Amino acid sequence: MTYSSSLSMGRRRFATRHQNVVNWGEQTRALGPVSNTVILVVLSCLLGLLYLTQVTKTNASGYKVDGYEKQYSQLQKEHDELQLSSARLQSLDRVADSKPAKELVSVAPSATVR
Amino acid sequence: MQKFSSRSFNNARLDLFYGLVMIVFAIFIVRLFYIQVIQHRYYANAALSGQYKEYEIPAERGIIVAHDGDTTVPIVLNEDKFTLFADPKYVKEPGKTAEDLVKITGGNKSEYEDKMKQKNRYAVLAKKLDESQSEQIKKLELKGIGLRTESIRTYPQGTLAAQILGFVNDEGKGTYGVEQALDSQLKGKAGELKAITDVRGVPLAANGDNVRKEAVQGKQTTLTIDLGMQRKVEDLLKDHLPAVRSSSGSVIVMDVNTGAVRAMANFPTYNPSEFYKVNDANVFNNAAVSSPLEVGSVMKTLTVAAGMNENVINANTTYADPGQWKIDDATVKNVEEDGGAATRSTPDILRYSLNTGATWVLMQLGGGKINEQGRNKWYDYLVNHYRFGQKTGIEQGYEAEGYVPGPNDGYGLNIQYANTTFGQGINITPIQFAAAFSATINGGKYYKPHLVEPDNGKPTVVNDATVRSEISEQMRAMHENSVAKNYTFLKRPGYHIGGKTGTAEITKPGGGYYDDRYNGTFVGYVGGDKPEYVIMVRINEPHVPGYAGTKAAAPLFAKVTDMLINNFSIQPSQ
Repeated sequence: MTYSSSLSMGRRRFATRHQNVVNWGEQTRALGPVSNTVILVVLSCLLGLLYLTQVTKTNASGYKVDGYEKQYSQLQKEHDELQLSSARLQSLDRVADSKPAKELVSVAPSATVR
Repeated sequence: MQKFSSRSFNNARLDLFYGLVMIVFAIFIVRLFYIQVIQHRYYANAALSGQYKEYEIPAERGIIVAHDGDTTVPIVLNEDKFTLFADPKYVKEPGKTAEDLVKITGGNKSEYEDKMKQKNRYAVLAKKLDESQSEQIKKLELKGIGLRTESIRTYPQGTLAAQILGFVNDEGKGTYGVEQALDSQLKGKAGELKAITDVRGVPLAANGDNVRKEAVQGKQTTLTIDLGMQRKVEDLLKDHLPAVRSSSGSVIVMDVNTGAVRAMANFPTYNPSEFYKVNDANVFNNAAVSSPLEVGSVMKTLTVAAGMNENVINANTTYADPGQWKIDDATVKNVEEDGGAATRSTPDILRYSLNTGATWVLMQLGGGKINEQGRNKWYDYLVNHYRFGQKTGIEQGYEAEGYVPGPNDGYGLNIQYANTTFGQGINITPIQFAAAFSATINGGKYYKPHLVEPDNGKPTVVNDATVRSEISEQMRAMHENSVAKNYTFLKRPGYHIGGKTGTAEITKPGGGYYDDRYNGTFVGYVGGDKPEYVIMVRINEPHVPGYAGTKAAAPLFAKVTDMLINNFSIQPSQ
């Protein structure tokens, strides 16, 4: 084998029949299946985390609402009790039996306004 | 060679370990598959039953308010009370527990102890405990003892307007009065909450399947009564009854121009907060709307109004009154001393309370005699104009319809119908009569009597032509003429006051009338330039010398009239 034939053999080593040795098309860069899987898993985890934080946040708000509702009920109860006490204190029987009412005296009219 | 054997042995152990791990994993996987897939429904339900809770959101019963001058004040409210109960299974020392409890509740120790030894799991020990008692019991931390909160009705005005209000029984049902009549709108509608909860029972807001339906609160109701007037009328009635030796009676004060009842008093009465202490259930009845009676001669006011409205008589008509009429097998006579044969006028029928005069009006309705035509016309007035024999629709439980005899049925129709013209043989409730009388003096409008302020603020006119307005005017003149000439003790200078007495015989259970038992009634009005209030008084079986209407009912009418003039700004006529 001559030196030139040896070189030729060396160049043809990568060449096959009916194929251009020089590739003129653009080369595309794509992620491999492993990378894709990893990214999907990470995204799923992030989504799951987001969901969990939102659920926790909503439930925490639920506790707040529950707290406010209890506070409202308590205030409503106090309002009702005060209203009841007020009504009892102003009841006609109680007012009539009160000390100031008993101390009232009848006064005959001294004149008539015309 | 030896070295090779040792490695081979180690590999075998590793294989064995690996195999065991795989078997355990396999068991786990199979078990998890069984639990999570095959038994999924069972465990999901079990979890849900622990987390999923259903609550009832109770509706607050609507409060009731009434007028107090220009403002309104609550007279029926709700209050939280506590029911003390025991679960005998967990009570270890019934004797000691009972002793501790009675110190707070004031109950009976042996009774508590017996209840705590029962076999059932729920024994009520005490009811209607207040907040401080419940706090004291909670502090004791007694095992097997619990407290349940209950919203109960409370009536801070005590006995005031008791029969108007009614009460709410232990089952939470409105009974008698407004509480019964408006029970559905007062009690509201309970809501519900279905939710996944945490371990403390707090609903988790994140669960999209939670269902919350808000409660519809009971409607607040405003009564037409004025508390001050109601109190005064109740006091006047209560003080008056012993003076006329009667045990019971009723008074209605109604706004002539709207049908609104401003005061409605009955005696005897009770405290609705302590309804369970009442022995005689009759006390619960609002007699003014649920106890019809033969009203007696007050009926003549309506008989004369009907005759005038039908143009068969007028205010100036005179007739020859024989002093008695023979009708069927009976005789209609006058009871008043000056009711003998004479030439009488229409106003005389009211002034002298002539039974024969009222009967004569019925004759005129029939064209000169009591006949089918007259009976039908009078029946039309009783039922369609004055609206007797049917409920008025006032907001009260157990309202009675009363009774109007049919014009064409039964024996002795003519005498029966003659009797109805002066208020016998016909049953009418005081509220029915007050409403009908109002219509004859207010220009002819029959207003639906009511105890609750209408939502639109406007009274309901049931019939705007009960009588013509000119007849109404003439009726007022005749009533005031009667007061001026016969009931002078009712006259108040500057005020328009008119009215009529009634003394009604009382029917025996087996038929006929008692000879010595009467009810006294009085219907009348008071006002400045025009009538403002109609007052209907009923005194049951007073024991006074003279006529029950004149001696027992009319004096109370006078007292109520004075009270209204002095306290409720009735301006004298110009």
